[in-house]
Amino acid sequence: MNKSLFGILIIAISAFTFSSFTDDAEADRLIGIWEPSHGKAKIKIEKIGSKYYGKIVWLREPTDPETGAPKVDKNNPDESMRSTPLRGYRILKDFEYTDKDEWSEGTIYDPENGSTYNCIIKMSDENTLDIRGYIGIQTLGRTDVWKRLKMPSKKKKK
Amino acid sequence: MKYILRIVSLALLFPLAFNANAQEDTTTTEEEDWSIYDDMDFADEGAKRFANAKISGLSPARLITIGYDYQAAYDLEAAGVINGNESYPAENATINATSGIRVGANIPVLSRNDILIQVGGQYWNLNYAYDDPDALNHPLHKTLSDNGLRTWGLNSTIYKPLNEFSFVLVQVAADMNGDYAIPEFQSMRYNRYSVAALYGKRPSDYKQWALGISRTYRAGELNYVPIFYYNYTSPTSKWGIEALLPARGHVRYSFNRRSILMAGFELEGNSYRIGNQSTILSDPLDELEIRRSEIRARLMYQRQLSGFIWIAAEAGYRISYAYHVDDIPDGKDFTRLFDIVSDAPYTMENTIGNPVYFNISVNLVSP
Repeated sequence: MNKSLFGILIIAISAFTFSSFTDDAEADRLIGIWEPSHGKAKIKIEKIGSKYYGKIVWLREPTDPETGAPKVDKNNPDESMRSTPLRGYRILKDFEYTDKDEWSEGTIYDPENGSTYNCIIKMSDENTLDIRGYIGIQTLGRTDVWKRLKMPSKKKKK
Repeated sequence: MKYILRIVSLALLFPLAFNANAQEDTTTTEEEDWSIYDDMDFADEGAKRFANAKISGLSPARLITIGYDYQAAYDLEAAGVINGNESYPAENATINATSGIRVGANIPVLSRNDILIQVGGQYWNLNYAYDDPDALNHPLHKTLSDNGLRTWGLNSTIYKPLNEFSFVLVQVAADMNGDYAIPEFQSMRYNRYSVAALYGKRPSDYKQWALGISRTYRAGELNYVPIFYYNYTSPTSKWGIEALLPARGHVRYSFNRRSILMAGFELEGNSYRIGNQSTILSDPLDELEIRRSEIRARLMYQRQLSGFIWIAAEAGYRISYAYHVDDIPDGKDFTRLFDIVSDAPYTMENTIGNPVYFNISVNLVSP
């Protein structure tokens, strides 16, 4: 009896673990470096706990032409955040893998105007994300297409 | 059994332990070598970059707008007209106010890096409050006083980037303009269609320009004119220019990203069928359209009220470019092209004063 119960439990745990690994692998496809359509930044999406976050890791113009200093989040409505450097700033927050090829429940922040939008991310293929920021309902929004980036392939020395 | 329970307990507790260590703080503090991100390639080797539809610092695009427009008092002299045995002498009348609501929506229906399609609609209403409506004799005054003018319009904008630096922009619009009552409207054959097509460049995040041609009613009657699109933002994002000449042109000053002042003009106009509710003249001059066109020299202040709700207030001088009347049988329009292709006389060549005006609107702005 004990052996049977032990066997069932092992199978159940194995199935659960395998299923979790499969789900995690599916969900973790979001992790990587991505370029928004404007090309002005590169965003690194990483997993923290069970959620996904994206931070700015590269800016085409890293310095503010007005101050000559590294760009900060000067348009943030919260004054206390306006001296936070943009490089390293998390603009994607709290995304969960909620459906096949879809991450939602998160927000996206636009440093250009200091606004935070509801956001849903859909992966149209392994290297393409449809990032839809919207206001209240998805109809009132805009989709931006992000492309996955990779480190350059090393050239062979002759 | 105890052994089994330990395994199960560990299996159940492991995720909890992991979650307990999860970082909920969303700011990054760790030092990172940012230079590793300098040189990267697209993972998909066939991927291309495309010129973005916007540049930095533009005033916010309006998804939904609800506004009210008000023009102060001015005089309108309706020209004398003879139609068969009917004769109406010229008549000057004072209009104390011309006002009405303006509602519009502009929704992106397809938004990709390689194409952007927006579809919009609008409703404008113009009520003419005459100083002494009972004393009016001229049919133009009477129909404006009784019925006013209104516009229902549909439009679409297609932005197609060709590569990282160049793009094509096409705008189409269909407007039903007239003194019709709702819901009777007027025949679709009186709809007026506008089209603009441009080819342009976006050399940087701070500048885009385009040249093109348009079929337009902004001068009141049908015309074909070259157009020049130019948007610019200074590197500090304080100053900028937003222009689609000759339709509009503004200098922009941003106090910050939530407070913007613009100074410039808009050329506003269309062709309005009158006599829908009561024939103002008889055959043969019985299919009349007002060729209304005005230049609005203005200051416009926009600021964020809350979140995505913005308020815009504008004030300025409404300078009439045309308020003439043509007879257009069956709605088959024609163009004079600034008298180059036709010098056909107007049925009524009216004279209209230039008042101050203001406009206030509440807007839901786009992400």
